[in-house]
Amino acid sequence: MKRIIQLTVNGERAEVAVEPNRTLLQVLREDLGLTGTKHGCGLGDCGACTVILDGRPVNSCLVLAVQANGSDVLTIEGLAENGKLHPLQRAFVEKGAIQCGFCSPGMILSAKALLDENPKPTEKEIRMAISGNLCRCTGYQKIVEAIQAVASGEIMQGGDS
Amino acid sequence: MSLGVVRSQAIGTSIERRGTRARLRGDTHFAADLNIAGVVTAVVLRSDRPHALIREFDPAAAKSTPGYLGVFTWRDIPGRNRFGIINKDQELLVERKVRCVGDPVALVVAETEEAAQRALSKIRVVYEDLPAVFDPEEALTDAAPRIHEKGNLLGRRVVRRGSPEEALKHSDVVVERTYTTSFVEHAYLEPDAGLAYIDHNDILVVHASTQNPHYDQKDVADLLGLPEDRVRIIQEATGGGFGSKLDLNVQGFVGLAAFLVQRPVRMVYSREEAFLATAKRHPLKIRYKSGANRDGRLTAVDVTIIGDTGAYASYGLAVTSRAAVHATGPYEVPNVSVEAIFAYTNNPMAGAMRGFGVPQMAFAHESQMDLLAAELGLSPLEIRRRNALRIGSQTATGQYLTASVGIGATLDAVASRWEEARVEKQSTRAFVRRGVGIASMIYGIGNTGMQNPSTAQVELGRDGFVTLYSGAADIGQGSSTVLVQIAAEALGLKPDAIRSVIADTAHTTSAGATSASRQTYISGNAVLDAATKLHNVILTEAAMMLKADRGDLELRDGSVFLRSDPGKGVSFKDIAERASRTGLPLKWQGYFDPDTTPLDPETGQGRPYATYAFATHVAEVEVDSLSGEVRVLKVTAAHDVGRAINPLNVQGQIYSGVAMGLGLALMEEFHPGVTESLKDYHIATAADMPAVIPIIVEDPEPTGPFGAKGVGEPALIPTAPAIANAVADALSARVYNLPMNLERVLKAGISVRSAEKEKSCQGY
Repeated sequence: MKRIIQLTVNGERAEVAVEPNRTLLQVLREDLGLTGTKHGCGLGDCGACTVILDGRPVNSCLVLAVQANGSDVLTIEGLAENGKLHPLQRAFVEKGAIQCGFCSPGMILSAKALLDENPKPTEKEIRMAISGNLCRCTGYQKIVEAIQAVASGEIMQGGDS
Repeated sequence: MSLGVVRSQAIGTSIERRGTRARLRGDTHFAADLNIAGVVTAVVLRSDRPHALIREFDPAAAKSTPGYLGVFTWRDIPGRNRFGIINKDQELLVERKVRCVGDPVALVVAETEEAAQRALSKIRVVYEDLPAVFDPEEALTDAAPRIHEKGNLLGRRVVRRGSPEEALKHSDVVVERTYTTSFVEHAYLEPDAGLAYIDHNDILVVHASTQNPHYDQKDVADLLGLPEDRVRIIQEATGGGFGSKLDLNVQGFVGLAAFLVQRPVRMVYSREEAFLATAKRHPLKIRYKSGANRDGRLTAVDVTIIGDTGAYASYGLAVTSRAAVHATGPYEVPNVSVEAIFAYTNNPMAGAMRGFGVPQMAFAHESQMDLLAAELGLSPLEIRRRNALRIGSQTATGQYLTASVGIGATLDAVASRWEEARVEKQSTRAFVRRGVGIASMIYGIGNTGMQNPSTAQVELGRDGFVTLYSGAADIGQGSSTVLVQIAAEALGLKPDAIRSVIADTAHTTSAGATSASRQTYISGNAVLDAATKLHNVILTEAAMMLKADRGDLELRDGSVFLRSDPGKGVSFKDIAERASRTGLPLKWQGYFDPDTTPLDPETGQGRPYATYAFATHVAEVEVDSLSGEVRVLKVTAAHDVGRAINPLNVQGQIYSGVAMGLGLALMEEFHPGVTESLKDYHIATAADMPAVIPIIVEDPEPTGPFGAKGVGEPALIPTAPAIANAVADALSARVYNLPMNLERVLKAGISVRSAEKEKSCQGY
């Protein structure tokens, strides 16, 4: 039995008819075509599907779409503003914090959620905050440095695209 | 290179990686992100038995599933139902019997994934179980069940030099130990995925996550009985591979399904399927005997390696050879006896994984070096220095090393941290012991003792822009960026000014596999060759147009200028227009195949690689002798890469390798039949990682593009043995089995713990 749910995704209203067992991840990728959010395991182990739901980072594979009814969702596609990369995206470019890029969307959203709540995290706090986001390519060092660069103000709002 | 270019400074510069911004915006399509009108889904029915005959197969009940489009078996395969990169021993859909859990029995196609899974669940298969064997040594006995018709021996590689038996007899010290390693899962973040359709020219197009599109093309064409040019493979953005995406994973299935149902077909592995059905790292059992004299010099090694390749060969033979050839490590050993024997079992298939057996061998030879050092009263650093290969040394295969032997330089590079760490290592907490370990490695770049050429094209278009064409799959390691940097340097351009077309079999020629740390050296040279040819043509044309002497010309930023009169020049665009009028070709092909010879089958002597990378890591650890927990505090990692074309990329590989090496050392173990997903298979998280200090050593390789070698696999290799040696240093007891999990460390530490207890009791 399908049910209509309403979401605000990246600032835009969306209405989707969903089966009760459909996940937020499926709705984002398949119904809304927002494939920047990745499916890495479907069990909440890898964090590749991380999005920000009402201000909090969640594994969208573990959230049923009906649970997200009425919520505000931020995905990687909604992070750049007016074509300008978000400081975290720029920091990932500048620090070389990306290799294959499959974990990057989830990683960046976890980092954003951290900085929104704790703008000056310690290195340990950064590492804990992204410890639910697995990366097999980078060894995490450059990712940590990129997040630190935003936290310290080395990389700020504005800049190039 | 004595090219007449002004250095564009493209080499040695950490330029931004190609495609990074799109990936960070979420705009890049990986194979699972592709959508196309009318696409349907294929899933595979896999065996739940390790070794069984298929007695009955009844798909009738599946056919009534809404959305059902077809169930296909081996009988529906139009071509040759055999594939495999080295040995064609895999069936796309098994014909008579399954040889491991996860073997593909049938392909189910339906309108949606849900419908396909529902239909699959209704297929009835009756198996007749056969005796199974899970141990490679047992598999080689006469009584063992036969897994393949040719028998259970996959292959054997011997390396023999000098008189090892005699030398060991007369050595001052001899150490013999046995080491084991386990199955390891690649755990790339992107599960395998692909999408196939037949295009308007009747060509089967497969978009896939892959490390080797040109190999995929051959095997998919063979499976379908099509000429190669009727199959086109396009590598989509690939979310890591580490060796496992060298095998044909989804490509054959989506190709077959699209061919049979004449609809676009998608297949995306779940994480569980990626764990179940793709290759693993070979578990090795290594018996290692080494001798040395009082002067600290190695006299001989005698090594036996037993490998388990599981049910299929995949890259097993490559691992057999590479493990044997690398058994002596980066050291001069005058007398060598190595025998590697790999067997089929009913375990999951083992194949290529970052290092092809060398990480396992390094665990053994580096543990041996520390054991010998202890016997001889030498420091672990000193024994390595005394034995390190140098210019003029002969390797175990009798190859003379003539240049770029940076092992000594990597030892020097970590020496100060090694000394400091040994001083600092006193622990402040009871039962927590600090340790410092060092480990080195050698790694031959490219395939072992065989041709493994690469080709590339560089074209000057009529619009004056240069395009690079390369078949080299960039799986996240950054080859596309590095190859462009090489072309840019050769043509006096900024890398940004070069367009690239990568890993599409319709538009590129084979660069060989993205494996064996070979793309920078081998494809880099192919690109350099192509760019040099184009450079020469541009120079000749410019000389004519400017009525100048070639020697007086230089290429800079898309124009050719006169050195003697820098105001005078001609643009690439003008040159291209003229060439197009005169019919002069402006797309040039480059080729490079490293200078190797096959290994002698009896003695393993020969020239397996044209060049070698070297590295040394120092690991600092803290071991809790009560819980067995090991915390890695710092890894200092020095790598001789010849020349770092893109230093940030090289550092990235080193950080990456240390993370994977830490997993290999401490936590990663795939138990066949038990391990299912990332829930019960743990890889290092950000919170597990130590401080990593990468040190780039550049001992230029004369045959490399601008001196470069490779670093992808070397980055990983010394980490696990360095951690093992650090744990041994901390506990004064050694672990001989990877991973060094809590149980193994605890067991090794028991002796230490009881000794400490005794000591603390004496204090009362």
